Amino acid sequence: MDALRAIFPHDDFALLLVIILVPLLGAFVNGVFGKRLGKEAVALMALSAIGVSFIASAAAFLLLKDAERTQEAARLIWRGWDWVTISGRQDLSQVPIQIAFSIDALSGAMALIVTGVGFLIHLYSVKYMEKDPGFHRFFSYLNLFIFSMLVLILGDSLPVLFVGWEGVGLCSYLLIGFWYDNDYNAFAGKKAFVANRIGDFGLLVAMALLVYYCGALDWTGIDAQSRSLLQAKQVWPIGNDVPWVTWLGQHYSSLSGVAEWVNRPRYASAATLVGLALFLGCAGKSAQIPLYVWLPDAMAGPTPVSALIHAATMVTAGVYLVCRMSGVFVLSPAAMFTVATIGGLTAVLAATIALVQNDIKRVLAYSTVSQLGYMFIGVGVGAFAAGFFHVMTHAFFKACLFLGSGSVIHAMHARIHDTDASQDMRNMGGLKRFMPVTFWTFVAAWAAIVAVPFTSGFFSKDEILFQSFTSFVKAPVEGGKLGEGANAIQLFQWPEWGGKFLYTLGVLAAVMTAFYMTRLVIGIFFGEFKGWTIVKRWKAPKHHHGHAHDEHEHGAPLEGPTPHESPWQMTVPLVVLGALSVVGGFLNPHALSMFGVHTHPLDNWLAPVFTEAKKFVEHVPEFEHLVVPLMLPGIGALVVGGGFAYWMYLMQSGEPAKKLAEQMPRLHALVYDKWRIDELYDETILGAVDSLAEGFAWADRWLVDGLLARFTSFVVAAVGTGLRYVQTGRVQAYAAMMIVGVGGMGWFLIAPHAHAQVMTDHASGSYSVTASPGLGYRYRWDADGDGTWDTESFSDKTNVELKLEPDKSQTVRLQVVNAFGRTAEKAFAFSRPKPDRSRGPATTMNVEQGADGQLRAMPQRPRPAASGTFQLPPGGNMDPEATRRLFQRLQQQRGQAPGQPGQPAPPGGGQPAPAPAPQPAPGGQAP
Amino acid sequence: MNLLGEVIEHYVILASVIFTLGAIGFLVRRNVLIQLMSIELMLNAVNLLLVAYNRVHGADMNGQMFAFFIIAVAAAEAAVGLAIVLAFYRLRQTVLSDEADSLKH
Amino acid sequence: MSGVSAGNVFFAVCAIVALVGALMTILAKNPIRCAVGLLSTILGIAGLFLRLNAQFLAAIQLIVYAGAVVVLFVFVIMLLGSDAGEAARGPVKAALSRAVAGVLAFVLAAVALVLIGSVSPAPTRMGPARPEHGSVEAVGSLLFSKGLVPFEIATALLIVAVIGAIAVARSVPGKKKVKAAESPTERMFHGPLHPRDAGRPLTRERLG
Repeated sequence: MDALRAIFPHDDFALLLVIILVPLLGAFVNGVFGKRLGKEAVALMALSAIGVSFIASAAAFLLLKDAERTQEAARLIWRGWDWVTISGRQDLSQVPIQIAFSIDALSGAMALIVTGVGFLIHLYSVKYMEKDPGFHRFFSYLNLFIFSMLVLILGDSLPVLFVGWEGVGLCSYLLIGFWYDNDYNAFAGKKAFVANRIGDFGLLVAMALLVYYCGALDWTGIDAQSRSLLQAKQVWPIGNDVPWVTWLGQHYSSLSGVAEWVNRPRYASAATLVGLALFLGCAGKSAQIPLYVWLPDAMAGPTPVSALIHAATMVTAGVYLVCRMSGVFVLSPAAMFTVATIGGLTAVLAATIALVQNDIKRVLAYSTVSQLGYMFIGVGVGAFAAGFFHVMTHAFFKACLFLGSGSVIHAMHARIHDTDASQDMRNMGGLKRFMPVTFWTFVAAWAAIVAVPFTSGFFSKDEILFQSFTSFVKAPVEGGKLGEGANAIQLFQWPEWGGKFLYTLGVLAAVMTAFYMTRLVIGIFFGEFKGWTIVKRWKAPKHHHGHAHDEHEHGAPLEGPTPHESPWQMTVPLVVLGALSVVGGFLNPHALSMFGVHTHPLDNWLAPVFTEAKKFVEHVPEFEHLVVPLMLPGIGALVVGGGFAYWMYLMQSGEPAKKLAEQMPRLHALVYDKWRIDELYDETILGAVDSLAEGFAWADRWLVDGLLARFTSFVVAAVGTGLRYVQTGRVQAYAAMMIVGVGGMGWFLIAPHAHAQVMTDHASGSYSVTASPGLGYRYRWDADGDGTWDTESFSDKTNVELKLEPDKSQTVRLQVVNAFGRTAEKAFAFSRPKPDRSRGPATTMNVEQGADGQLRAMPQRPRPAASGTFQLPPGGNMDPEATRRLFQRLQQQRGQAPGQPGQPAPPGGGQPAPAPAPQPAPGGQAP
Repeated sequence: MNLLGEVIEHYVILASVIFTLGAIGFLVRRNVLIQLMSIELMLNAVNLLLVAYNRVHGADMNGQMFAFFIIAVAAAEAAVGLAIVLAFYRLRQTVLSDEADSLKH
Repeated sequence: MSGVSAGNVFFAVCAIVALVGALMTILAKNPIRCAVGLLSTILGIAGLFLRLNAQFLAAIQLIVYAGAVVVLFVFVIMLLGSDAGEAARGPVKAALSRAVAGVLAFVLAAVALVLIGSVSPAPTRMGPARPEHGSVEAVGSLLFSKGLVPFEIATALLIVAVIGAIAVARSVPGKKKVKAAESPTERMFHGPLHPRDAGRPLTRERLG
């Protein structure tokens, strides 16, 4: 341990690089050389990569524990280099974005889960994907995914997390569409990526807001500056008003009230905005309403992918983000309540859909969405540790469930190769006696998910249910008012009925969970096997081509071999995960407090991460003793749901379900079609985008193509066509045109033109007229402006000079005669204006030298009154504390230097701008 | 009447009329040969004018020399023009200039 | 009629001959008549040259113009035979524009005359001429001193014109049938200029 500590000091913790980069190396080797290496080498490379990563995570965990014990550091960091520097709050600070990784309690635990479960799934995939031609590609993608997930977890700042965020999205796309020959798989991958992307927009907006308000993007910086988020921001209208609404209100008096209401400014606290934006990202990644639609389709990928990505790791990234940004979230009760509510609604909605699905992977997918809803209930009410605990237990039992179903599908594939048919529950049944290991591990995981007492799922779900009832987030500011005076906004108050509402949602979802999970277990493992007729020592027919022979000759029953148990590489992970599902709960057994046992190691472990956040989370004190009464509905849900399913499917062999479906066919179809939410999205949002695209296509076709391209060319061609008729090809026509031209020229030459150049100089009053020469021209002037010609005969005099007094005018006339004796004349009028006394003296400017040495000229402004009316610098409201302190500082400055102009320069201007930080900590630079 | 032919204006008028007649003939007639003859008319009119003015300003014989060259060039041009007419006739079996419109749009 | 001298009469006669010849040139249908009209104009102008003391030029005019150019015209008319006439071969193309052109030219002439009339209330008389005005020596000495270069160039011009005339008027050797070529470039260099000329044979059998 000491040696490790020496090699990896706390502030240069390069072990993180080992954790992160070894899977990347595995991905690279497998991707580039995989084909040549062969299946065994590829498997070895992948397994060893993630194995090393797991060991390194364990070592890092121990080192972290050691560091916490000795109170040295709560977070072990490795800093790389500055990636990019952006300007921060109101152009004042520079926010460097650094490539840095760090591990603290939260990310340490998460890294262990990711690498541990990942390793088991890698092992499982070695056998599951054995016959796939894209074997090396699969493992390359899996390792790449692990790499991205670790970057996400271990990143020290939001941008690095975002890199990992996008990376897991990419790997999800690659792995969902792994069998890309099938169009549906590719479509599912695309859907996942696009839905994720919508969420990523929210995350980017949140990052921008954080840079603006907190001036930092790394965890320490955000935590230090998070109070700056407690500002009110006008969110509506953008600008002063909505112009057309104002116009309507002005012109139609009956609408003025409505217009008034529309234009009324509405405020939100910046913390709420950040929280909601972050939650949009979480909704995309962790499949909550409204962006959950990609997760069921993601089952098109291989089962290990579903287990790893869509059960254990990627989808929990959203919960991880909320936990990581807990300090920001708790500043906004509105955002927290939104998170919890949406989590609850998602849990219930997904559970309803899972009730009627027949594809076993679909059931598990909706179950995942539902359980994710639970996690968000947990973190939404402020029970971050409880939510994270559910992440952990969910990773165990959901991965176990998925791997178990993969084992079943693997057995079904021996005879049925069609993907949909081999996953359909109606083709299974009675597999209990053929696949015992799979059966028992599946049951263990089932016990955890339906929350059989003392399993891991029981402890975590019960904890969440309890916390949802008793815990809430209080307003971070006293009195619940943000801002001052007219612009003050009332912060959201956690409603009284909130706890009960969330609790009810949770219990409802628990009932449904128990029901459909029991239905699933019964459907797969109990009853008669409905897949094919089992023939001992069945041999594949000679002309067996694969897919085409699943639907054999209609009427002839399908025959096949005994379904087989999976090899050890697949069953060992199942056993490990099953065991963890059962005993893992004792890491945080809050429910044991009714027996007086108050150990919760996970809570203690995670405590340092959530200390700040806990300040704003409160528990209703009267409910503290309701641990047992609140536990009972949970257990009751298990009994009711599980019992009902047991009765319906095992004792009545599904008859009541079929009868219900027949009696309410339309409702059944609606629920089976996942409430047709996908279709709703298609019609509304995608339809809108399509219409927009069509509009642009129309504009492109008719405006750009038609008007700009074709119309202009048409005009040119038409003019050309018209002009072509001039070219008759006959010399006589051309000669005629020449004569016309010659005639015109001749006329121009024969007619005399009286032109002259005029020079005016108003200042001195001298003007001159110089006649232009011509063939045989002679000139006659009338220079004195009396209306008669000065001379009788024409002469060669070409120049006339004139001098005028101010405010006098005169007209000079010129007459020209040419050799043919034809005359022409022209008159020139001159007038000298009065002297101009209108302009005053030039304005004076103040030239100042700013702090950066640059000179700036500012026109003189009236000085502020000495009583000290203070002008707020631009940038929105600041809280009164900071304002008062700023004003005091400026008054001091004024007092010290009496001669200086006491203007409050705008920030970033001449005087060193005080970036008001309400906390004594310096402006939000990364440490 | 007693000044007829002793005043430059008469020669100017005569030359202008002959020139105009030549121009009209070129523009109106279709037969290429007659067009060429009209061109010869125009050249002759110009020659007349030159010689007449040379008589008035008779310091040196510039006008007559110029007219001499005009005659020479007119002869050459007539020869080449008639050769072209022959080639055109071989091509189109006609001497109407309306048929010579290969450069038509 | 006081003082009508022989010079005046001579002028009138020559002017009338020239004018009538010009009119005949542009108005006659038969091309031979046009050639005769041209000849008449030339003779008239030659007479006027004599009146203007340009003996040398008058002789040259007669020799070259009347003796060569008009003869050339007549040769060609005879060569063309009946085709030389303006048999109506389809409607006259653009008769209107022709008429307009003619009217235009007439108007131009009228304007010119008006201008001439307006500028000369006092006509410019021609004074007596020197005896050597217009003599061969006078013109010749100028021709071979100041006008030597144009003279030599005119010689070259005449040689070139002769060669050119022979080259252009030569009959095409062989009677090749030419088809319209495919590309415009081909047509430009090898074939008829316009596709519609492609069908017409280049040579007539009658002509050699």
